[in-house]
Amino acid sequence: MWIAADYHFPSTYSCRIPMSSANCASVMPTPGPATVRLALLRVGIELFGLAIVREELFPHLRAATVRIRPPERVAISQQLIRGYKWSEARHKRGPIQESIIVREMAHAAGSMTVFLQIQQDAEHRMRRLLQAVPYWGQSSSLTSCLGVRSAPPLLEECALPLDLLDDTAPVRPYFSCPVTEFRSNQLSWEDIVPGAKMPKTSALRCDIYVWPMVTEYRHGTQKLLVRAPFFPESAVSRC
Amino acid sequence: MSENPQAPFYEMSFNVLAAWQAHSLSTSGSNGSNRVMPRRQLLADQSETDACSGNIAKHHHAALVAAYFAAEGSPLCPACRVGDGRRAAALLDRPEYGNLSFECIVCECALCDTHGFLVTAKNADSEMGTATRQKISKETLIDFSYALALPDRHAETSQLHTRNGASKEEGQMLMKIPARSGEYALCVRYQCAGIGADTEQWLLYVKDQAQREKRHRAILRTLRDTLVSPDGAQVATMLPHLTRLSGAIVVRTDVGRAPLYSALESNFVTCLQAMADETCQVYPFETIDAFYRLMNTFIATSVPALHPFWKISQPSNDTKEQRDDSGATATNNGAAVLPDVDSR
Repeated sequence: MWIAADYHFPSTYSCRIPMSSANCASVMPTPGPATVRLALLRVGIELFGLAIVREELFPHLRAATVRIRPPERVAISQQLIRGYKWSEARHKRGPIQESIIVREMAHAAGSMTVFLQIQQDAEHRMRRLLQAVPYWGQSSSLTSCLGVRSAPPLLEECALPLDLLDDTAPVRPYFSCPVTEFRSNQLSWEDIVPGAKMPKTSALRCDIYVWPMVTEYRHGTQKLLVRAPFFPESAVSRC
Repeated sequence: MSENPQAPFYEMSFNVLAAWQAHSLSTSGSNGSNRVMPRRQLLADQSETDACSGNIAKHHHAALVAAYFAAEGSPLCPACRVGDGRRAAALLDRPEYGNLSFECIVCECALCDTHGFLVTAKNADSEMGTATRQKISKETLIDFSYALALPDRHAETSQLHTRNGASKEEGQMLMKIPARSGEYALCVRYQCAGIGADTEQWLLYVKDQAQREKRHRAILRTLRDTLVSPDGAQVATMLPHLTRLSGAIVVRTDVGRAPLYSALESNFVTCLQAMADETCQVYPFETIDAFYRLMNTFIATSVPALHPFWKISQPSNDTKEQRDDSGATATNNGAAVLPDVDSR
C-alpha cells in the first residue's frame, strides 16, 4: 500500500547535492530518498526507541519504495555565509581561520509530498514517523507535516531515477542531479548505523535523479524551478 | 494557558512576524567594494526579498544564553565561558579533558548541551602518538530559520557612512551601508525535552530535573529577549526599531512536533490554530507586550518534559537498558550515529 505525507517548508531550506563542495554547495529542490529514510530512522528512535526501530521498523524502511513529489515552485538563491576553519594538526594550530562559504538556499511554494510503499501491517507506525519529521538533512531545513493519507503517487509528478525513465524520452529541460539512495534493500542495521568497532561500509550509492521541474526564470545565481509533469506519460511507463 | 506550575513542554515553535525598521542585521559582506550588500533571497513567487540569516540569530542567542546560564549557576565548559565557537571541540587542547565523553560534555556545559557541538572522529596516528577517537556530537536544540521580509512590505535606503582607515595615510573611507526596513517572517523551533540528553539515542544524562529546569528557563528568557531586542550585525550604530511583533507560539506537551508555519502566508495563525489538539496548544499574540507576557508565563510555569523512555523505568536503570539495546558503552555514545548524507 502507498501512504503519502504532505510537508510545508516554513522557511528556506538547503538539501545539498552529493559530491558538491561543502564550501560551495549546490542544492536540489527536495531531499533525496536516502535523506528521507534516514530522517525516518532518526524520528523512529525518538518515538519508539532504538530496539524497535532496529528490529521492526528498519526492515520496512530499507525496503520501502520512496517517491517524492516536489513543491509546485522552488526558488533557489546563493547565500554567502561566514565559515570558520580550524585544524587540530599541531603544525596548523593557531587562530581559527575565517572564510566565505557559498550555500544555495531554496524557498518553496506549495507542499512537498513523500510517498512510501509499505506493507499494511506497518502503516500505523509509518504514519506516526512521517508526521514527526522535524527537518530534512540539516536542522536549518525545517519542515512541518501537514497530514498523512493513503494515496499512490502520480509518477509523472515525482522525482525518478534516470534509469526508470523511458530511454527515448527527452530529459533535458528537467532538473537532474546525483542523489543518494540505500545501496540495496538487504542492508544490515550496522551498515547504516555503524557501531564503535564496525568498519564503515558504503551503505549509500549515488543515482542520477530527474525531477519533473523546469527552470522558469534565471537571473545571475538565482533560479526558479516550476513543477512540470513528465511528458509524455509513457516516459515513466517502466516504473 | 493554565497556571499549572509544572506544565511539561516537549517542543515549542515560534511563528512570528516582526517589523524591524532601519536595520542591517544580516549582510552578505562587501565583496571587496565600499558597499555593504544586503542579504537577498528569491521567493517562489519570483519576487526577490530581503533576508536575515538564521546563523547570526543563533550566534547571538548562544552569546546571550551563556550569560543567563552563568547568572543562574548552570555550568559552562572553559571554551564556552570565553565564547569559543568550537565549543566542546576546543577542550581537546586541554590535557585535563583528554578523555572527553558525551556525558561529561552535556553535564558540564549547558551551552554545548543547548546549541550542540561536534568533536570529530580521528584515526590513530602513530607518529603523533594519538589514539583513535570516536565522533561525539549533539545537534542543536534550537533551530532558527532565515527571516524573510514580506515581498510587498520591505524597503531599503543606502546610507553613506565614513570609516577611518587603519593608518593616517589611508585617511577616511566612504562606505555605503544599506538601512533596511520591513516585516519579516521568522520561525524558531526549540526542543525542550532534549535538555541534558542525547537526542540521537534518547538517553538522559542530566538526571537532576532542577538543573534541566534552570537551563530551560534561561533558554526561554533568551528567546524572549532575542525577539524583543533584536541583535545581529551593525547594531552598534544601526540598532533596529522594533515596531511590531505578532504571531503564534505552539507548544507540544507530549512526544511529537510543534507545527511550524511561515508568516509569509497571511493566514498562518489560522492554519496553526487548526492543528491544535490536546497535546498541541497554540498561543496567538498580536503585540510586543502580549508576547512578552506570554513568554514570562512560560518561563514561570513550564518545565522541560521527560521523554516517555525516561518515565517508564528508574533513571539509573533506564540508561543502562537503552545502552544495552544500542550495544554502545557508557563512554561511547557517539557509536550509533546516522551517517552524513547528501543533504548535510
